[in-house]
Parts: sequence; structure tokens; C-alpha cells
Amino acid sequence: MALLEVKDLRTSFYTRDGVVRAVDGVSFSLDKGETLGIVGESGSGKSVTCYSLMRLIPEPPGRIDGGTAMFDGRDLLTMSKKELSKIRGNRISMIFQDPMTSLNPFLRISTQLIESLRLHYDVDKKTAINKAIAALEEVGIPEAAKRVHNYPHEFSGGMRQRVMIAMALITEPDLLIADEPTTALDVTVQAQIMDIIKKRQEDLGTAVILITHDLGVVAGTCDKVNVMYGGRMMESGTAEQVFYEAKHPYTRSLQKTIPSLQTKGEELYTIPGLPPDVSKPIHGCAFYPRCPYPKTGKPEGDRPELVEMADGHCYADCGFCDSSAPIETVLAKTDSPDEAIETGAAE
Amino acid sequence: MSEHVEPAVPVDPQNDFLVLDDVHTHFDMGKTLLTRESKGVVKAVDGVTLTVREGEILGLVGESGCGKSTLSRTVMQLIRPTSGRIFLEGKELSALSDTEIRKERINFQMIFQDPYASLNPRMTVLDTLSEAIRTRHPNVKGDALRARVAELLRTVGLNPNQMKRYPHEFSGGQRQRVAIARALAPEPKLIIADEPVSALDVSIQSQILNLLKRLTREMGLTMIFISHDLSVVRYIADRIAVMYLGRILELGEASDVVDHPLHIYTRALMSAIPRPDPTSEKTRSRIVLQGDPPSPMNPPEGCNFWPRSPIEHDERMKHEEPILTEIRPNHFATNCPFCVQAAAETEPA
Repeated sequence: MALLEVKDLRTSFYTRDGVVRAVDGVSFSLDKGETLGIVGESGSGKSVTCYSLMRLIPEPPGRIDGGTAMFDGRDLLTMSKKELSKIRGNRISMIFQDPMTSLNPFLRISTQLIESLRLHYDVDKKTAINKAIAALEEVGIPEAAKRVHNYPHEFSGGMRQRVMIAMALITEPDLLIADEPTTALDVTVQAQIMDIIKKRQEDLGTAVILITHDLGVVAGTCDKVNVMYGGRMMESGTAEQVFYEAKHPYTRSLQKTIPSLQTKGEELYTIPGLPPDVSKPIHGCAFYPRCPYPKTGKPEGDRPELVEMADGHCYADCGFCDSSAPIETVLAKTDSPDEAIETGAAE
Repeated sequence: MSEHVEPAVPVDPQNDFLVLDDVHTHFDMGKTLLTRESKGVVKAVDGVTLTVREGEILGLVGESGCGKSTLSRTVMQLIRPTSGRIFLEGKELSALSDTEIRKERINFQMIFQDPYASLNPRMTVLDTLSEAIRTRHPNVKGDALRARVAELLRTVGLNPNQMKRYPHEFSGGQRQRVAIARALAPEPKLIIADEPVSALDVSIQSQILNLLKRLTREMGLTMIFISHDLSVVRYIADRIAVMYLGRILELGEASDVVDHPLHIYTRALMSAIPRPDPTSEKTRSRIVLQGDPPSPMNPPEGCNFWPRSPIEHDERMKHEEPILTEIRPNHFATNCPFCVQAAAETEPA
């Protein structure tokens, strides 16, 4: 049985300006020890998906409208607050993007590190501190026994993120959710942090959900990848499938935007237009207005469903674009920033 | 520690566009309360000699804390250098008084990382841009001013009928376009862009990079583009300077620095860029640097990279400061044999 099985998750925000369908029917599953990457632009619903699983959506205005998230046989979305608090921070942990805002600046690292241990397990303070020191050593913090009593501001950005990882993993959780863990960090430190997450995952057999907008980070770490757009999954499969046999026009466009893949001297490829406004109903394929492929018609009605095309490789095919065409053929005429803004700003 | 050495990078203050001649920017941390002992000096910029040619984009790369932002603020004269001289078109900026520099500053403008923090949230785009335009043309008013604002917005790819909006009504990428328009408004000669795309999504990054590159070409601007990400700098810059702990470790044409890096630190930066290719990413060997950069308050002596270098340095290089030297034509690196030789060895001749 899968460790986590999410089915048809729907989360909306009920604002004065209308209903924002941030997550609009997302399903995926994750096995023990596996790494799942969720990739998408800002506003694609990747973070809201994971916040919903942890029930961290502010209610109101947010609301989980439907779906199930079976974690080890129990539904995270319907269980009582009491049951949930036994799982949260113990069997499921989370790392956030900005380690400065997610650590309490007034408390010593030691206090914050042992909090979840003391809360979930019956350990005395001394044992807990020793465990905290060991946890800091595991993530490569020098002089851990001394540093454990420092305050967050006494650490650099990379060190703070290590502390966050140590804190998240101290209870040896089954699932770690990492929301853009390296976006605020330098590339050199990013490489170190990803190595640490990978190593700790191997040691503890933790499953990891990695949320990021950077396809490069996903490639080196993830077994499976979900590509999200406009609150839905556009494509999912193993990392190899999504990178080498990408089917959906959005996935392929996203790959083309990576600066390190592009030849110097040429204009960088950009996806024309802006992400869809999920507060308005979307008809047909959400990517249709920005799709660079030649089209044979305009998709209408419901958004296309995610369908399994090959062994574990799913994508939402609207059936109206020819995604076998090379993307270069349509580059020239879509690559104007003016056009991009105008389509996005037409309200 | 080290005597002043003749810079190996030739500078010609009278003819080069922007010249930094042995610039040091140090911050005195003050004295302790009781014993009055000095708390130390942060050497944020520690002897940088650099020229920027007219019309080029110079990429300045380094990790956080390497002094690249302090260097850019020193060029802007927002922070006065502790020693060394800065020339813009033959005029010595570092010798000007505060009032004189204020007048001069319309010639060089800055774009910051976070467009939300650098735009006044209570001013409409029209207000922000009008204010910036009037620093150069104080007498422009009314319709003429609006026409200029509209033109600026069109230049950066925004719709002129959005000029009455406030910054929060724009997305991150659009906000950065407003920040670019604001920097262009006083018709500057030099633009310093400090991590202008780091806060943006990958897909938006490319749009902003394309825009910056197009504008520098079309308007004949000179730009210093600061970033920690070599994959971004490689695309936009004509030349690249790699900075570490307040000093330049490598300097050269962008293609030379990226494709044939001399210094091991540059190679480490390159290898830290994650590649969007699962197979090679899971198998390739990388130069992973140990730890964070040391504190600039107490920088290591000698070749300042030795504590983090994967190659063991000998006692001499731990004390003797290497000099930026022309190792290949127009391609400079510090002449530390351990840092540079290592790169040369692993590269086919």
C-alpha cells in the first residue's frame, strides 16, 4: 500500500472577488522512501496542495472542498485536530522556503529543535538535547554541541536551512514535505542542502515531496515528477519520463525556459502570456492560450483529464495541439514581451 | 599582510568608461563597550581593480557575502570606499562631495532584487516614473510627462493604460519591469542590476533577462549585472568577474570564463548548477564546496580560497596573497598555483 494516496484534492479560497480554485482535482500517490517533485510556476497550486495535506490552509478564506488524502490508511483531510496533531511534526514534517521566517528569532535553536521530540515522545530534556546535537551533526553543522544553544540570527542562511532540516527530521518522520527549500539560497549552498536531504532520506527511509519551480533541482533528486499548472496536474511520471519523453506542451515549454540549456547569444525562450487566472472558470486546456504548438481547434468544455499513456506516465491531452511538432518552429512569432504582457493584462 | 601590488589588470581612468582602481570598502565594527577593544573590520571589498567598457554587460558573480552588493553600492557611491578610486567617464566619483554626487547619480541607476521592496507601495506607477523623469528634466509637466511615462512603459513591455496602478496590482515579473522603467527614466549611462531575477520564477526570469539585454543594446547602456547564478550571467554578460571574499578571483570574456574556467572556484560554481537531466545529474561528479564562505571580518590569509578548496594548499599560498594575472589572452585569474593549476589539469589542452 502506498504511504500517501491523494485523490481528487480540491482546495478553494473564497474571497470577496470570487472563488479562487487554487487546487482543482489533484491525485497522486507516494511510496515509502520515494521522492516526488511537484513543479510549477507561482500560482500553479503546488504549495497549496501540500499545505492542504498538512491542513495548514487558513480557514476562512480557504476551504478544502473535497478529495481524500490517505496517509497510512487514514484520511488526513477528515481526521480530528487531535489525531492530526499526533501526525503533524511527528510522522509528517515540513521545510519552508525562508528559514529566517520559519524559525522563532526569540528562542534558542535547542528549544526549537527539541519541541517536537518532547511533544510527541516521552523523553527528558537531556536526552532530547543530545538527540538535537546528533541531528545537527547529521546535517553538517560544525561544533554542534556548542551551536545548539545559539539563536537563529547567529547562523547564515544555509546553516539556518540545515537547522530546519535537522528539526524536521528529528522525529524520523515517514514523510518530509519541502516547499522550495533552496530557492532563497546560493547555488553552491543549494547543492549542499540537496545532498543533505538526499543522504538523510537514504538513512531514514523517509519519503519526500519536493516543491519547486526549478526543473534542474528536480532532475537530480526525484523519482517521480508532477507538473502542475492552473491548479491541476498537466503531466506526471518518473523523472526520466517527464524529462526525456515529455508529452505535454507545458512541460516541454517549461524545459525550454531553463537558462542553462540555452545557447548563448540567442534570445532566451520564454513562454508567452501569463499563468491562468484561477478565480475564473477555465474551459478546455488551461495552457491553451499560451500553447506554442500548432493547433487544430479550440478546446471547449471541461478541462482534459490526466490519462495514463504509458507505464505510469500520465498527461492531460486536450487533443487539439500537435505536441509532436518541434517547439522551435513556433518560437519566433510568440517571443515578444509586449504581446506577453498584453494578453495577461487584458481584464 | 600584503603591500600594495601593481594591478595586473590595466586601467586607464581617462579613457575607460568605468574604472575601479584598487577599491577597498571596509566596515569598522566599532569598539567593545568596556575594554574599548576593536571589534574588528569587515573587509567587504578588499582591493578590486576593474574596468567596465562602454556598452558592455559585465556579470559579477559570487556567493552571498562575497561583497558583490557592497561593490555595487560603492560604485553608486551609496557607500564611500575606504580607499581606492572610482572613475566614470574620466570623472573621479570617489572625490566628489555628497551634493555633487547627487547630481551625478542620474547617470547611474540601480535595479534591485525585490521589486516589491524597492517600489513605493503608496505611489502609482505614474508617480514613481514621473519623479524619476524629473530628476533629469525638472521642467517636464502635464501631458509631456505622461507621454514620457507611457513611452517608458511601452519600452519595458507594459501597457501604458496601467500607469495609474499601484505596485501591488502587478505580478512579480511586471513589478520588476516597472523597476526597470524607473531605472531608465533619468536616462542613465550605467545601470547596476543587483540580482534582478533571483526572486522570480524560471519562466519569468527569461523574459526579464531578454528585456534587459535588448534594452542595453538598443539604448547603448552599460550594465553591471550581479547574480549568484552563473547560468543566468553566462547568458546575459559579455564579460564575467567572479568575486570571492571581497576580491576578484577570475575575470574574462563570458564564454572563456564559462567554458574554460581557470579558477577552481569558478568550476565549483559551474558544477553547482543543477542540470535538468535526471541520468547525468544522478551520476555526474560535482565539486561540492565545504561549508559557507568564511567571514569577511576575519578572512583567511594568502589565497583566500584555501580553507574551502578541495585541493590542499601549501604553507606559502596560505600566507602569500596571489595577484590577478593574465593567464590566457584577456582572461585573468589569481595566480595561486593550486586553485588555477587544478583547473588546467582536468581540462584537455
